[in-house]
Amino acid sequence: MIFGQAGDQPLIVWDWVWRNLDAIGSRTLQHVVLTLVAVGAGIIISSVLTLVALRWRRTYTPITWVTGLLYTIPSLALFTFLVPVTGLSMLTAEIGLVSYTLLILVRNMVTGIEEVPDHILDAADGMGFTARDRFWRIEVPLALPVIINGVRLATVTVVGLVTVTSLIGLGGLGFFILRGLRTFSSPIGTTQIFVGTALSIALAVAADLSLVGVERALTPWRRRRSS
Amino acid sequence: MIELASVRKQFPNSATDAVENLTLTINEGEVVVLVGPSGCGKTTTLRMINRLVEPTSGTIVVGGRPIDAMPVHELRRTIGYVIQQIGLFPHRSVAQNIATVPTLLGWDRATITDRVEELADLVAIDRSMLDRYPSELSGGQRQRVGVARALAADPPVLLMDEPFGAVGPIVRERLQAEMLDLQRRVAKTIVLVTHDIDEAITVGDRVAILNTGGVLEQFAEPAQLLAEPASDFVAGFLGSDRGIKRLSLLPVEGADLSEGPVVSPDTSISAARTIMDQHDLDWVVVVADGRLVGTVSRGMLRGERVGDRDIEPLAARVDVGSTLKDALDAIVSGNGRYAAVCDGDRYLGLISTDAISKRIATR
Repeated sequence: MIFGQAGDQPLIVWDWVWRNLDAIGSRTLQHVVLTLVAVGAGIIISSVLTLVALRWRRTYTPITWVTGLLYTIPSLALFTFLVPVTGLSMLTAEIGLVSYTLLILVRNMVTGIEEVPDHILDAADGMGFTARDRFWRIEVPLALPVIINGVRLATVTVVGLVTVTSLIGLGGLGFFILRGLRTFSSPIGTTQIFVGTALSIALAVAADLSLVGVERALTPWRRRRSS
Repeated sequence: MIELASVRKQFPNSATDAVENLTLTINEGEVVVLVGPSGCGKTTTLRMINRLVEPTSGTIVVGGRPIDAMPVHELRRTIGYVIQQIGLFPHRSVAQNIATVPTLLGWDRATITDRVEELADLVAIDRSMLDRYPSELSGGQRQRVGVARALAADPPVLLMDEPFGAVGPIVRERLQAEMLDLQRRVAKTIVLVTHDIDEAITVGDRVAILNTGGVLEQFAEPAQLLAEPASDFVAGFLGSDRGIKRLSLLPVEGADLSEGPVVSPDTSISAARTIMDQHDLDWVVVVADGRLVGTVSRGMLRGERVGDRDIEPLAARVDVGSTLKDALDAIVSGNGRYAAVCDGDRYLGLISTDAISKRIATR
């Protein structure tokens, strides 16, 4: 038997859910904040790394190498390494979360810019765009679909990873999952695991859908095709 | 307008020169076509004029100013640029695409809007298209928007790299005609690159034939190229149907016309028969007050006068403004040896296959 011991006990104690709505609300908010800060900081750092990689091509390989290494470190281990340095803090959580966004974001940003067709760049140069104008007015807008794809992937990844930060006293909805695991055999325990997991998934889906909306709003030219 | 003096270009990592030593003068308001096989450096030459390729040595002067006398982006904003893939910006509307250079130059909004509409009219793009994106246009429309974009800031010089390469043959012919029509109105100095000798002959006021390494084999008007190719390379590149190609360049005007067996509707049929005998033909041309009425054949002569019977319209006729190719076509289509040449309705005479051959032989 996986859940509890008696078949007549409910898997989800809805009563517990109603009694803890406030806590669920504040943990959801914490989850959202941890995610937004991580993705926001990830976008800023990745933009800088992308500008460096595009300006000095030889730096691209080392940048992907380092961000790739960060991506492969197990999250549990990463938080364990960081705690002695930065303590059980928001900073520790964010350092960990941000490091998982960098590879995805940098790779999509660089690829997006590189995939802008040569003939469009040639036309832009031929008409007298300066390098800076060409980058911001032509290359970045045209790279947006690929960049936003990266942001979607990074966001969904972070929403999932936030739960792990429950180990250092944060965790957003992961807080309920961790507590549920500790009282696993009780109906209250399974209820908490269910609530934490379901809301975490719902957050990921909501974030992904809203980013699809952002992409559609920012790239109106992709929706209209020749009839 | 554009002067290239001893221009050489060697690309890095290349043992040979793309362009060895090219000197070329392009006059204001003319269409010069650079044509040659791949590897002849024609595109490199074009791209050196707006410094998309920097010459290794030599000088290029545009409108009296050396091209390196100003910042490169300023130079390019004074030179229109059209490429084969057109390179419209997919994230910008047609209007924004056309407004590209004026926007870079910082024109005010009202001026830009007026200019965009003016250009849309000029290249026959419906104003309702202006809010669309390039992906919503047909190939021909995109090409016209590309030309409008290049003309936006009214640059004196237009560079065109295989501008009609991306469309099918039927649309291409139409676009070539449109370009010539446009050129009559805007009178730009145009340098156009193509690999298609027929296109060069059609659109060029002068044609520069380049050989491998940017060697200028001949630089002349199309008619002269066809009449007197300067080398075997040029003759080979022009193809074996040089004579036929010349036909489409030479006007009917200037060919020897014969008066032909002309009668009026009042001429008696016996006089008409005499005229046929004199010309050794079985038909006469009927002309009234200088106007071409038609033709009557020997077997159709009835009554007293030529005009007593219906006069057939003459199928084999060409306007004096058309080319010898049209004349030859009219003759062979009419199954005979002659075509009537008219200026509107006015009869000028007959042109024969012999006269066409003679016109080709002398230049």
